[in-house]
Amino acid sequence: MKKALILLGCPESPSQTPLALYTAHKLTKIGFEVTVASTPSASKLLEVSDSEEFYVNKKIDLELCLEDLEEKEYDLLVGFVHKDAAVSYFVTFYHILNTKSIAIVFEKDSDLLEKFLNDLKENTDATLISARAYHNPTPIRVKIDKAFNVLED
Amino acid sequence: MSFCLELHLQQSEDYEILISKAGFKEAKKVIENHSPRILYVKPGAKVLGARIIGIPPIPIGIDETQSRITLPYTKPCHGTAVVDLPVEKEEIDKVKAIAVNPMKK
Repeated sequence: MKKALILLGCPESPSQTPLALYTAHKLTKIGFEVTVASTPSASKLLEVSDSEEFYVNKKIDLELCLEDLEEKEYDLLVGFVHKDAAVSYFVTFYHILNTKSIAIVFEKDSDLLEKFLNDLKENTDATLISARAYHNPTPIRVKIDKAFNVLED
Repeated sequence: MSFCLELHLQQSEDYEILISKAGFKEAKKVIENHSPRILYVKPGAKVLGARIIGIPPIPIGIDETQSRITLPYTKPCHGTAVVDLPVEKEEIDKVKAIAVNPMKK
């Protein structure tokens, strides 16, 4: 079974947790074994939102994951990027894993969104999914659906 | 025993924060302007026992006369800080060994 790693950033953006569960479920349906790497607080949000572990049953601490990460350990990296630090984390995971990667980039400020996208374009060959979004996950969910339909094909 | 950056920052006061809660590019400029010598490493390179997080090339500041290292330190919710701290000479040698494009300022 192919393995996917979902990389979560700071859970400050309200859209991140529902989008992470949505993305994990989509990847599971396609046939991936999904692991979510996150901070302890982002992990707590997942635990409460998905208390029966219906959508995510493999979680790992972000720092522990990074410490032991090896090239090609996962077949797919999906990173949620909505802060400058998340760009740095995604680029770092991308360079260590050297595997197919998708960055889901969302921000309410259009200038910041553009900056994050430029940094990712300059430093990775990842597929970029982006939208202006913060409270409302729908704009980015629609784009996730389109991108993942390609993955299914 | 090898150096552990996380442990050092938790248990010692012998370090200086040059900037905190910054963006990576801002932190990079601080390091490049601060240290007499800059070595660059790849994202994920291990320096002082910790994976270095950032956008390549990542600068590590070296001051061999003072035996100090200056490096970026990123956390998901707090952005990037720049930490300057004293180290053994062998830790500087380890950075030299993994540097991708050693450059003198």
